Amino acid sequence: MSERNPRDPNDPVLPAVDEVREVELRGLEAGLGETFEVPIGPIHPALKEPIRLTFRVRGERIVGVDIRTGFAHRGIEFMGMRQGRNLIQVLYLAERICGICSVSHPIAFTQAVERAAGIEVPPRAQYIRVIISELERIHSHLLWAGVAAHELGFDTLLHLTWRVREKVLDILEELSGNRIDYAIPIFGGVRRDITPEQYPKVWEAIRYYRGLQEQLLDAFLNDPTVEARTRGVGILEPKEAEELCAVGPTARASGLRKDVRQDRPYLAYPDFEVRAITPADYGLTPLGDVYDKIVVRLLEVGQSLDIIEKALENMPEGEITSFPKIPALLAHLKKAEGEGLGWHEAPRGEVIHYVRLVSGDESLLVWKVKAPTYSNLMSWYPMFEDQEIADIPIIAACIDPCICCMDRVYVVRDGKEETWTKEKLLQLSWEKTRRMRR
Amino acid sequence: MRAERVLQALTASLGEKLRNPELRPREVGVRRKWTVEEIWAEVPREAIPQAVATLKNLGPLHISIISGHDAGDVIELLYHLAVGFGTEGGEVMVTLRTFLPKSDPRVPSICGILPGAETTEREKIEFLGVEFPGIPRRDHVFLPDDLPVHPWRRDEPELEKFLHRMVEWEKGHERKESEGS
Repeated sequence: MSERNPRDPNDPVLPAVDEVREVELRGLEAGLGETFEVPIGPIHPALKEPIRLTFRVRGERIVGVDIRTGFAHRGIEFMGMRQGRNLIQVLYLAERICGICSVSHPIAFTQAVERAAGIEVPPRAQYIRVIISELERIHSHLLWAGVAAHELGFDTLLHLTWRVREKVLDILEELSGNRIDYAIPIFGGVRRDITPEQYPKVWEAIRYYRGLQEQLLDAFLNDPTVEARTRGVGILEPKEAEELCAVGPTARASGLRKDVRQDRPYLAYPDFEVRAITPADYGLTPLGDVYDKIVVRLLEVGQSLDIIEKALENMPEGEITSFPKIPALLAHLKKAEGEGLGWHEAPRGEVIHYVRLVSGDESLLVWKVKAPTYSNLMSWYPMFEDQEIADIPIIAACIDPCICCMDRVYVVRDGKEETWTKEKLLQLSWEKTRRMRR
Repeated sequence: MRAERVLQALTASLGEKLRNPELRPREVGVRRKWTVEEIWAEVPREAIPQAVATLKNLGPLHISIISGHDAGDVIELLYHLAVGFGTEGGEVMVTLRTFLPKSDPRVPSICGILPGAETTEREKIEFLGVEFPGIPRRDHVFLPDDLPVHPWRRDEPELEKFLHRMVEWEKGHERKESEGS
């Protein structure tokens, strides 16, 4: 694929957009350029909480955005720090911070506690944690790809990706008993082993996804509609990504080789020599637009398959936990004193947990959680700037919060309020796709 | 980047202001071993921007989060920063600890040096009542704008009132359900 420049006026994909822009500019010159506000949300649950985005728009263009979060702040850290909860009870809370990264938070949390309490994790348990978290990455990225296709009005692709995603959920259910909330990590190891009968099933899933990889890349990246709707949309420049401390695929799509598994290796990750993926690995110049975010996520599915393969081949034998008896573990944790940081590269980016333990108290003294979207929140400001209203769904989705439950839009125009449903917003997005196809 | 180099740069820039610097190495990996080093140090609040600027000069800088906690007479803040991403094992985690007296819980904002710190600084304003002079936006991120308490303060006199109300509501809710059945 050749080098792309979304601002190139000679790009064959872009004239349709430029024509729209020209009409708008003529409108502005004629004095029709008043700005009005479009508040979106607040029901929007894939962040730690729903969110409200208030856009200032002129015509179809966004000139500013205000982001308000906290509509369902559950105070999980506050609950975890209350007296009378022991660490295993808090582990269950940590698991429920996010439904999609439901192994990422426990992995970061257990590491933080293990560092604070000086607990070693057996090699086999480290490998199992890696395998489960990479399976989670595959399911999360496929989930996102399907949502992105839906936001673009390409439901055939949504159904394709979600159908193939079922396989990885079946494997997670086989290994852990659950499709989400796997309850695998515990302080000092994991709760379930991978048995010899389960290996062939995981290998079969790997072969299944290997066979589909080319098809998925082709369906997303060589489709003119997807390209037209995502090229040059929601750009995050590398400098902005660095300054705003973006993480995960959001940062990598802008060309930053930023991946916690590579930068600050942990658990057994040094064994797999993980390298952060950017669009350059697909032969593209990274622009940081939505298209690049699709590229990075799809390539990372392949990377996760590589890691799981290598882990299955080299799986060490031995114990899966250094504390087979829970009362012994609780007694050790009660005596422990210290502080620790645990981190993990979740599907969306860096998760970090800080804990402090006090000897003689089985509760946590301090617990701070950072989810990836917390870091990526600021990236929305430059991404939305100068974009079209019809592109709001895909730009909001591109950092990978779930936009499905964005319930309504109020348009305040000339003092009159008008309710736009999510369906109407999606309709606008689909109409744009159809316009571009013509 | 090696942790010693980061520590040397911090010592050269801050001198005596850098207190109790500590290198915490840890071996990771099963078949291919790697040593990951973390730096933990204490810095007076007025030196925080200087320390962050020093780290920024060393390489690409990332702020993970600012942790905070009410430690009696003082509020303890921990800046978890990571410097030098991009290469394998090249990033060094630096945690800067600072203490603010409760009578004057102010610390200069680092948003001018690292704009990505804005969300986490705003969170500390609402949860701990810390002030960050120089922050571009200071409205609440997570809590309702009219909530008069800082939930992470352990001596917050009003907090129990809110928890009490929460429990009362739960009780009322349960009663209604049992009456209905």
